[in-house]
Amino acid sequence: MINDSVIDRSKDITILELLDRVLNKGVILTGDIVISVADIDLIYLGVKLMLSSVETMEQLKSRRQRIEK
Amino acid sequence: MKNNLIYVYCISDRPFEFEVAEDVSGIRTIVFNNFYLIVKDVSDNEYSEENFKRNLSNIKWVEANARDHMEVITRNMENNTVIPFKFGTIYHSEESLKKFITDYSESFAENFQNIKDKQEWSVKIYCNLEILSEQIDELSEVTAALEKQIRVSSPGKAYLLERKKKQLIEEETDRLCKHFGQIYFDEFKMISDSSFLNNLLPKEYTGRTDTMILNASFLVGKNSVPEFKNISSHQTEKGKPLGFIIETLGPWPLFSFVSINEKI
Repeated sequence: MINDSVIDRSKDITILELLDRVLNKGVILTGDIVISVADIDLIYLGVKLMLSSVETMEQLKSRRQRIEK
Repeated sequence: MKNNLIYVYCISDRPFEFEVAEDVSGIRTIVFNNFYLIVKDVSDNEYSEENFKRNLSNIKWVEANARDHMEVITRNMENNTVIPFKFGTIYHSEESLKKFITDYSESFAENFQNIKDKQEWSVKIYCNLEILSEQIDELSEVTAALEKQIRVSSPGKAYLLERKKKQLIEEETDRLCKHFGQIYFDEFKMISDSSFLNNLLPKEYTGRTDTMILNASFLVGKNSVPEFKNISSHQTEKGKPLGFIIETLGPWPLFSFVSINEKI
């Protein structure tokens, strides 16, 4: 699968793909205020919690569908 | 609410096509020392050290602003070579930002030289281990040999060998993933100027049922992009029957291939 327009697909890019780039790379040296390594850990924890809650919702949804059948 | 902090998106060594003093969303261009920066004035309420750290614990806020960061950069790289800044790089004043640019202007110039007429592409390869293991006897000599042995063994011995084979299949699919991952990677690398291996993401993060076996970024000359895409199409076709899914995406802002050397 080739997607040659990041711009067109920017809304479809997963949060992980997005954070993988904007948090860990680029000009990262300096700035009067920047994100620290500890902040990045905190953000990934947030992602994990968000994804696991999405997963839980999906599981609950499919369980409910099975019960309704 | 006073917007007294400066958020930096990216920098270029050439003027931007849509250079503006300030657009509706507050984004503007700063020109300094032959460098052109896309910035936005932001408020203390959101981006002071304390408030920014608090906002980072709100994943919805992070996602919305990280997407905005990516979108502003991708929009501006359409007609220009840009070096992206990391998400959340903030300066207290224009003077402070200009001092940084002055201090690192040589390094910026060198990076612009290195990335001129090049694009960043990402390649993620996943493997459906079930599909791969169904064909294991054709792909692995050791499992094929064990299978032959099972067929001629007594039921008791065959049972024990089956158990052994189960373990062997796991080891062999792992080996084959590394083997094919390396072949795919080398093919892309051959026509790229540089490559960067990212961490493999576990399923709990990708939300997929298949397994990520390669997560790489490539710096590709604009002229080589059609060939890069051809390789991707060819690999997709070749890899599908074996359970490999190749996802190629680009061009990205050149996040992986800029290196501004810190001054000591």
